[in-house]
Amino acid sequence: MIMRSSNFSRRTFLRGAGGACLALPLLDIMHGCDSPGVAALPQQFRGKGGPKRFVVFWTPNGTIMSNWRPTGSPDAFTLPRILAPLDPHKQDIVVLDGVDELSAYKGPGDAHQKGTGQGLTGTELQEGDFAGADGLSAGWADGISVDQAIADAVGNETRFRSLEFGVHVYGANVGSRISYRGPAQPIPPENDPAAAFNRIFGDLESDPEAQKRRIAERRIVLDAVAEDYKRLVPRLGAADKIKLDAHLAAVRDIEMRLDTVGSVGGACQPPVLGEVKDPTKVGNIPATGKLQMDLLAMALACDLTRVASLMWMNSATAKPFPWLDIPEGHHELAHRGDSDLDAQEKLTRINVWYCEQFAYLIERLKSLPEGDGSVLDNTLLIWVNEHQKGNDHDRHEIPYVLAGKAGGAMKPGRWMQVQGDVPHNNLLVGLMNAMGLEATTFGNPKYCTGALSLA
Amino acid sequence: MHMRGIVVWAIAAAAIGGCQNGPGGDGDTNGATDSDGVTDGVPAGATDGGEAAECRGIEPGPSPIRRMNRREYDNTVFDLLGDDSRPAQNFPAEEEALGFNNNADALVVTSLLAEGYLAAAEALAENAVKDLPALLHGCDVKSDGEAACAERFITEFGRSAYRRPLAAGEVKTLLAVHQAAADEFDFVTGVRLTMTAMLQSPHFLYRVEFGEPMPDSDDILKLAPYELASRLSYFLWGTMPDAELFAAAAEGRLAEPEDVAKQATRMLADARARATVRDFHGQWLELRRIEEMEKDDEAFPEFDPEIRPLLRAEAEKFLDHVIWDDQGDLDSIYLAPYTFLNGELADYYGVKGPNGDAFEKFELPPGQASGFLTQGGLLSVLAKPNQTSPIHRGKFVRERLLCQVVPPPPDNVDITPPEVDPTLPTRERFKQHSVDPTCSGCHSMMDPVGFGFEHFDGIGRWRDEEAGKPVDASGEIIGATTKGTFDGVPELAALLIDSPETERCMTLQWFRYAYGRADADADACTIDDLTRQFAGSGRRIQDLIVALTQSEAFLYRRAPEGE
Repeated sequence: MIMRSSNFSRRTFLRGAGGACLALPLLDIMHGCDSPGVAALPQQFRGKGGPKRFVVFWTPNGTIMSNWRPTGSPDAFTLPRILAPLDPHKQDIVVLDGVDELSAYKGPGDAHQKGTGQGLTGTELQEGDFAGADGLSAGWADGISVDQAIADAVGNETRFRSLEFGVHVYGANVGSRISYRGPAQPIPPENDPAAAFNRIFGDLESDPEAQKRRIAERRIVLDAVAEDYKRLVPRLGAADKIKLDAHLAAVRDIEMRLDTVGSVGGACQPPVLGEVKDPTKVGNIPATGKLQMDLLAMALACDLTRVASLMWMNSATAKPFPWLDIPEGHHELAHRGDSDLDAQEKLTRINVWYCEQFAYLIERLKSLPEGDGSVLDNTLLIWVNEHQKGNDHDRHEIPYVLAGKAGGAMKPGRWMQVQGDVPHNNLLVGLMNAMGLEATTFGNPKYCTGALSLA
Repeated sequence: MHMRGIVVWAIAAAAIGGCQNGPGGDGDTNGATDSDGVTDGVPAGATDGGEAAECRGIEPGPSPIRRMNRREYDNTVFDLLGDDSRPAQNFPAEEEALGFNNNADALVVTSLLAEGYLAAAEALAENAVKDLPALLHGCDVKSDGEAACAERFITEFGRSAYRRPLAAGEVKTLLAVHQAAADEFDFVTGVRLTMTAMLQSPHFLYRVEFGEPMPDSDDILKLAPYELASRLSYFLWGTMPDAELFAAAAEGRLAEPEDVAKQATRMLADARARATVRDFHGQWLELRRIEEMEKDDEAFPEFDPEIRPLLRAEAEKFLDHVIWDDQGDLDSIYLAPYTFLNGELADYYGVKGPNGDAFEKFELPPGQASGFLTQGGLLSVLAKPNQTSPIHRGKFVRERLLCQVVPPPPDNVDITPPEVDPTLPTRERFKQHSVDPTCSGCHSMMDPVGFGFEHFDGIGRWRDEEAGKPVDASGEIIGATTKGTFDGVPELAALLIDSPETERCMTLQWFRYAYGRADADADACTIDDLTRQFAGSGRRIQDLIVALTQSEAFLYRRAPEGE
């Protein structure tokens, strides 16, 4: 597929010397060059020269702890093989070691379902019909995910409350969703970079008049559409009503955000995608992932959203890694015994590769100047895995890595070891606090004993 | 989630701790209990013959509102506007349930999709107004006036887009939308924006059914003629009704079940019905997965990804031929001793077959062919990248062909398939499953069935030997209804077609596809009835399709319930 080079990139783009802010006349109506939108933000949501952002990077099937855990001391540590790609960014990361996904031992579902569905929600899954192992089954997660809770606080002024990216996420079940608007309201990720590009950057107009006109037209149309759904809903049965109410809410959401456009200029330079390889092909996963990360980074830089996630394949994914010359499926490998050195080596290489992707995203965010630093400095980025270990589905000591500074709310450059039972709900609260939300608990309070401070 | 009935058995089985738990242990598909004489998915009443006593009165089962899936959307906008841009290919993929992508419960709308609808509607309308006179149906703005022409457009376009005449109130509301847009901009913009709104209306995107009241029944409604026209067109063609269906609805020619059957029979003769049957098979038989499958270069250096579309074409041409040009029955689908090959595929299989690019019917050596079950596409999808997979093949037979449920492997178990060992045949390497008691319960359901396919390697080609030894393709299928030993796929197929479970499962798969929903407890009588009709017709697929338009589930619906 060849991407149509967009008007946006061809005409709108004023590449300023030295990254000077050259916001366009129309597009800065809302925010302007010095981001008055940001200046108007409550202090706790503000970073340095830009808003705070929150990003989740998710990978499946656990890691190999012996090749993941650093050595040394909290401030002077050596990254082992899996984390070695982060060496250039050592001062930008927190290796968070020892947090347990305790809630994910409770409630319906098998280990994969719980590890995935509870990772960001911290609460039990619903009863349901997604078949799991051991004859267990589950429904969707039973609560809002932390990214969405954060988006509800920081995502109302941007064009998108949040953006969910996927790389070869297939199917639609509890193992293929991490993000939830609320109980049983999973948000599907966009797997196709071309579609993501069109959605995020495609209809920005270079011409202020055209942009104004488009907004006015959409207001007429969406108002009519919303009224149409509102008239119909009362005439439907209960189940249909829920479905069309959700549709109506989605229409309303688009309508509400008609006026929110990002400010273009400076670091905000929408990417030219070039050729987009078929994202449904396993062999294209590396290329797809890179494009998705480019789009994610730029959506943040352009302040089109402040919350995003990137899901790499699925819980218990069985896909091979042909680009690493690994023909076996990831899940199969993850289930082999600890003494299977071939499997350990391959799993290590898979996780090294994921870490390289994480490092790439860090680099991208770092390369985007903002304030006197970079977008990364205003971002809180977290790498989440569904499990710690594949063959026994251990959900203790989840191998989290965080990056960025959250505008100064998180102190990076550390190997942060926590002792004893620290439930991951505490981490979720810590993330919210770092993002400026005054939360004291998250998920099922039963599993939360306070905030894990990242300061 | 409304599929609870489907997995009840799997959960129950696991609770008792395994897959072999006596009669009934093969899975119950109709959602009834597993302890009251319902075994193997076939209610006792059905096998004994005679209609169960409770099958009285009209029971349409659940009637969820149905939204177009991507295929239906693209087909619809093509028929509605002549637009072949296939805008739905930019929408997020459907959430699937029970193997199908048209399940009403699974098709919800997220922001991502709502934005897709908006973008598609804008592009479609922008294109459509380029031929304004066509949209105005002869109305002339200069002589007839803007208001009259706007009304003409709304009435005419509305009838097609909403697939029924618009109520006066609806026309009025849409006229107000047009007027607002025309006041702010101009007449043409008014038409364009009105169309953009209509293309996002629930009456366009969904099949909204209000039904018609029936005497003596508060909770059961008869489908209105236009609603039936849409049910027919989306089931049989995956698109909006054609002119004849609209006319039939308008003229009262869709009032009786026979009218509906007559239309269904007419529609079956159209190429669009073939496309629908192909769509069904792409999902039921996992043929869609052929194009995505990857193989290990080392194990199968001769597997070129370019062969994948040909493998899919083979399966489609075969099914097309059997269903439309030959016997058209279930038995032929399972047993036919021929397939369709072109030169490249014949080379791939290593047979002296047709030359050239065109596909031709080709008789395979005796004992090597049994309908779709011996075709390379299916057998390589049901295989590992570097070897065969008796487990997946056995599971496919259980789940897709017999509609039984096989639970996934238990937690914390090493599910690594045995390493490929050039000195050991596959079935030797899979022995652990029958030795280890934690595995044998479930794997005795799958592996001995899958071993029957061992003459077909991991990329679906016939082999006489593996690891230097003659292939042993003997197998066994255990259970209460479908059971017996066999040697090779043709014998397995013969065993399957003799089982009442197979025809019932075929009926059930079509039921789920046709009605876009899981079978519920309330559907038991309908499914019994359809299965009987299917059996009585000589198990002809075309007859089953027509029968599906004659059921209570198709002709009636429940009145809206709940708050």
